[in-house]
Order: sequence, then structure tokens, then C-alpha cells
Amino acid sequence: MKWSFLPPEDGDRRYLAVNADEAEPGTFKDRMLIDFDPHILLEGIAICMHACRIDTAYIYIRGEYHAQAKTLQRAVDEAYEYNVFGKDSFLGKINSLAPHCYIHRGAGAYVCGEETALLESLEGKRGWPRIKPPFPAIAGAFARPTIINNVETIAMVGPIVQHGPDWFKSMGTQRPEDAPPTVPASFGPKLFGVSGHVNRPGVYEDELGIKLSTLIETHCGGMRNGKKFKAAIPGGIAMGILGTDQYDAVLDFDVGKKYNCLGLGTAGVIVMDQDTDMVAVTRNIIRFLAHESCGQCTPCREGTTWMYKTLSRIEAGDGTSKDLDLLLELAGSMGAMPGTTICGLADGANWAVRTILNKFRPDFEARVRKHRYVSLSTAGVR
Amino acid sequence: MAWIVKNSAAAQIDRRDQPYLDQDLKTHIETDVLPRYPTKRAALLPILHAVQHKHNWIPYQALEEVADFLDIAPAEVADTATFYEDFWLQPKGKYLIMICQSITCELMGQVNLLEKVKAKLGISVGQTTTDDRFTLMTAECLGSCDTAPVALVNESLHEKLTPENFDRILDSLS
Ligand SMILES: Cc1cc2nc3c(=O)[nH]c(=O)nc-3n(C[C@H](O)[C@H](O)[C@H](O)COP(=O)(O)O)c2cc1C
Ligand code: SF4
Ligand code: FES
Repeated sequence: MKWSFLPPEDGDRRYLAVNADEAEPGTFKDRMLIDFDPHILLEGIAICMHACRIDTAYIYIRGEYHAQAKTLQRAVDEAYEYNVFGKDSFLGKINSLAPHCYIHRGAGAYVCGEETALLESLEGKRGWPRIKPPFPAIAGAFARPTIINNVETIAMVGPIVQHGPDWFKSMGTQRPEDAPPTVPASFGPKLFGVSGHVNRPGVYEDELGIKLSTLIETHCGGMRNGKKFKAAIPGGIAMGILGTDQYDAVLDFDVGKKYNCLGLGTAGVIVMDQDTDMVAVTRNIIRFLAHESCGQCTPCREGTTWMYKTLSRIEAGDGTSKDLDLLLELAGSMGAMPGTTICGLADGANWAVRTILNKFRPDFEARVRKHRYVSLSTAGVR
Repeated sequence: MAWIVKNSAAAQIDRRDQPYLDQDLKTHIETDVLPRYPTKRAALLPILHAVQHKHNWIPYQALEEVADFLDIAPAEVADTATFYEDFWLQPKGKYLIMICQSITCELMGQVNLLEKVKAKLGISVGQTTTDDRFTLMTAECLGSCDTAPVALVNESLHEKLTPENFDRILDSLS
């Protein structure tokens, strides 16, 4: 879909950037793909380059993936050897371009996974997301038209070309007949990376539209230690949370609107059992986002740090019930969707805090009240 | 926090006569790195990785040499180098231990693990042992949440850690 945004050719370079900066907590499917099948990724890259008449592809892989960068480099070397890439490429014989594929290692910055920050980083600058427009398809890497896709997306290209779109559409969930156009169709298979309090965490491939409960019970062997399910994050921490009563949630691209969170995101599902401290979870998530904020936009830079301090205070038992309203107000004021920030990192903080606080408010209230107003009888005075 | 201003203007630059960016590195950059990119500056991240790989960290003098080599301002190099947390602008120990502290690892017992490692090495996060062997850091999600908690020691990932098995891993390092 994104590929159709490219402008007509003007004879100069166009780029493909593959986003392998997987750093969203709870997400590890791209690592699995690279570990076990780097060639399917390269196949997708070659097809994409041919289809869009691109001659240079960069795979932006995060710095911490040392082993994966080596695996990929070996696979790329092999592809050069067999003339998939390089000046004698068999693709080049058809389309008269000389396709090249390079690996570019990041250096420990989550925000570089945002597509325009990735481009800045590729150009040797700090990973600051760019203000859009212009969109990367028009002016991306080195101010040239650029396609950016995730590893899993590109890896899916080969199988779709091979088996045809009908095969792809035979999986997943259809759009309901009478649904408004805002409801997306969710076709195809998806890699679900499940971690947390389950018996067999790991990456499982299944059709979109699988129920969370099925995912946990049939694939992951149920909850660990026979504990009860409390909450799950559907796809990376920035996506909000599914509550205890949403155990049967249908995981497809419409998960956001149906269950009041942001979306399916990376499908990196983090499962939490009955003993989980939701205040600590929120604090951890916001600490991450405060730490990784690039600092360009005030609401994000100051807001995440402020929320982190407030949450730490609540966790330590020094919070007041006013702090909860403060958190909601702060959350509501930041993000690309309220229009106050450049990229979506702040939206992640917004959704995480808002959904956890709304769905687990009693957990927070117990914390602020219990420690704040110690009644005389509990203190043993009377 | 990438946006915290680092003290670079007042930094004392330790100099030595021998260049950090030696002929080996220069040849590697010219043949393997520069041809990949349409601009010279784009080669900055790979070059900084290469310098750090060779010297274990990136001294300010090396930043100036890189700037000189690429024909860009030293400030531009410093601007990029200070943003990325993987680039060490001060010396670190022989082994860099990075314990993941993101959500799944915390759910699976990272806090206890970190406390035990701190006690074992006698340092807190951000410090290096006096014999310069270990530097302890926390990391954000290392993309291995299914085997949480995990830690990276230099380039190798260690999974399903407990204080006991990590203890043995650290003891086995020379
Ligand atoms: C703060 C932030 C971090 C992101 N990190 C990643 C990432 O690590 N990996 C990734 O593939 N996409 C990441 N994205 C999404 C990308 O911007 C972009 O949407 C994606 O690469 C598009 O790929 P797709 O169309 O193939 O799904 C991130 C977005 C934001 C706002
Ligand atoms: S929203 Fe946050 S991370 Fe994104 S550009 Fe603004 S400050 Fe940077
Ligand atoms: S949260 Fe630690 S590896 Fe993902």
C-alpha cells in the first residue's frame, strides 16, 4: 500500500529502508525472523526493489543485535555471491539497475525505530523524528523518495507473491459487511510474540483474529503456576492495556477501538498474572518512554519525566488522589494525536497511562489512600 | 536520556601523538564504508562503531580525527556521538554488563537479579570495578523477552537468568 505513494521516477536514486530497530519492550518477532530465516527477508527486499525500481536498500538494525547483525551480514554476502544483489545481479539484467543491500547498525536509541528518526540516523545525525510532511515516500533518506517497512512486512512479500493475494486473504478476519470504512480488514498471518507470566513464552504464528485466551491457552500452555489472568498488553508497551475482563479479546487490527486501547502494534503480547502490581507496570513503562524521548517536543520531554516522578511517588506510597487526576491530565495533553508532538512516542505514554489508570483505577487508589490516610485503629492507637 | 546536555564545551581533551583513527581503520572506511552512502556524514555511525570496537571507547581526540577525515565539523560528530547511548565517550571496563530493565524482564525478576549483581561486584549502575574488568549498566528491552530476564555481556546475550546462573557466568569470564 505504502509503495504506491512513490512519485514517478525522475532517473535519480530511490531507497528502501528496512526497519529492524525492534526495541519496543515485549517485541522480539523480528529477531526470530532474522535468527531463523534471514533469506526470506532478503527475498522480500529484492522483490520490493524490483517492483519499485529501487537500487539501494539499507537494513537498519539496532545496535544491541550483535549476533543478528552478523547473521544478516552472512546472508547478504551469500546473496551477493549468488548475484541477487551487486553489479551482476540477475534482477539488474531485467531492469537495468544494480541493486545493493547494506546493513546499517544503530546505536541504542529506541526512537530511531520511528521512520523519520531512522532516516536521520541513517544520514549520520542524531535520531530526531522529522516533522511531516514531506513524507518519506516523497523526500526520505538523503532527501530522495524512500520506502520504509518493518522486517515482518518485507518478509511477507515473498510468500504473498508466491501464493497470491487470495491465499493471504484466506487468513485473518473479514471486515463485517455493515462496518463503517474506519474498521480495517485484518488479513493474513501474524507473528505473535508472547512473554510474561505464561508457561511457554515465545513467538507463535497464527491468523489475525485469534482470541487472546486461545493464544495463551493453546499456544502458551496457560498461565504460569496456575495463576489467574489479570492484564495483557496487546502489542508493545505503547499500545495501552487489555483489562481482566478482556481475556477473550479478538486480536486483529481493530483491537484498539473494540477494547479501548491504541491498537495491535507489534503484536508483542505481554501477559500479567493476578499478583502483578499495576502501579509498578505503569512506572516501568513511563520510565522507559521518559528515558527514550528524544527531547524535541516539550510535552513529551517534560510530560514523560513528570509522569515518571509522579508514578514513582505513588509507588512509594507518597501519592495523593490528586496525583491520579494529574496523570490523566498530563497524558491527555501529549501526543501526535492531540497534535502537540512530532512523533508517536508521546502517544504511547498517553495511551499507556490512560488505559491502565482507567482499567485498574482501584489498584492506584488503594496505593494512594492506604499510605496517605492511616486511620488511628490501623496504626494501633485505639 | 539522549537530550540531557553533556558537558562537551568545557571537556578536557587528553591528547596523544599516535592517532586513534589509524591507517587500518582508514583503509577499512574507504573501501568498505564510504561507498555505501551518498554522503560522507552518513558513514558516521559505522565509523564510530569501528573506532569503539578497536579502542573499547571513543576518546574526544578520535571524534576530532573522524571529523577531519570526513570533512565535517567536530561539533557535528560530537552532536551525533553524544545522542547514542551505545557510544562510550569515557573509558569502560573490559566487560560491559547490560541488564535489561524493561517491562517483561521486570515482571520476571530483573530487580532482584540487578541487586545481586550490584552486591557481587560492589558497584552500582553506571560504575566500573576498580580493576577495570566490569562496567555495570541497565539496558532497555533487548528483544528477548520470551527468555526474560536477560543481560548482554559485551556482545553475547545471556538468557533465563537467575542470580545463581548469572553468578557462574560472570565467574567464568577471564
Ligand atoms: C517511537 C516510535 C518507535 C518505533 N519503533 C519501531 C521499531 O522499533 N520497529 C519498527 O518496525 N517500527 C517502529 N515504529 C513504526 C515506524 O515508524 C513505521 O511505522 C514502521 O516502520 C512502518 O512499517 P510497516 O508499514 O511495515 O508496518 C516506531 C514508531 C514510533 C512512533
Ligand atoms: S514526541 Fe517525543 S520522541 Fe517524538 S519527536 Fe517529540 S520529543 Fe522526540
Ligand atoms: S523486556 Fe527485557 S528483553 Fe524485552
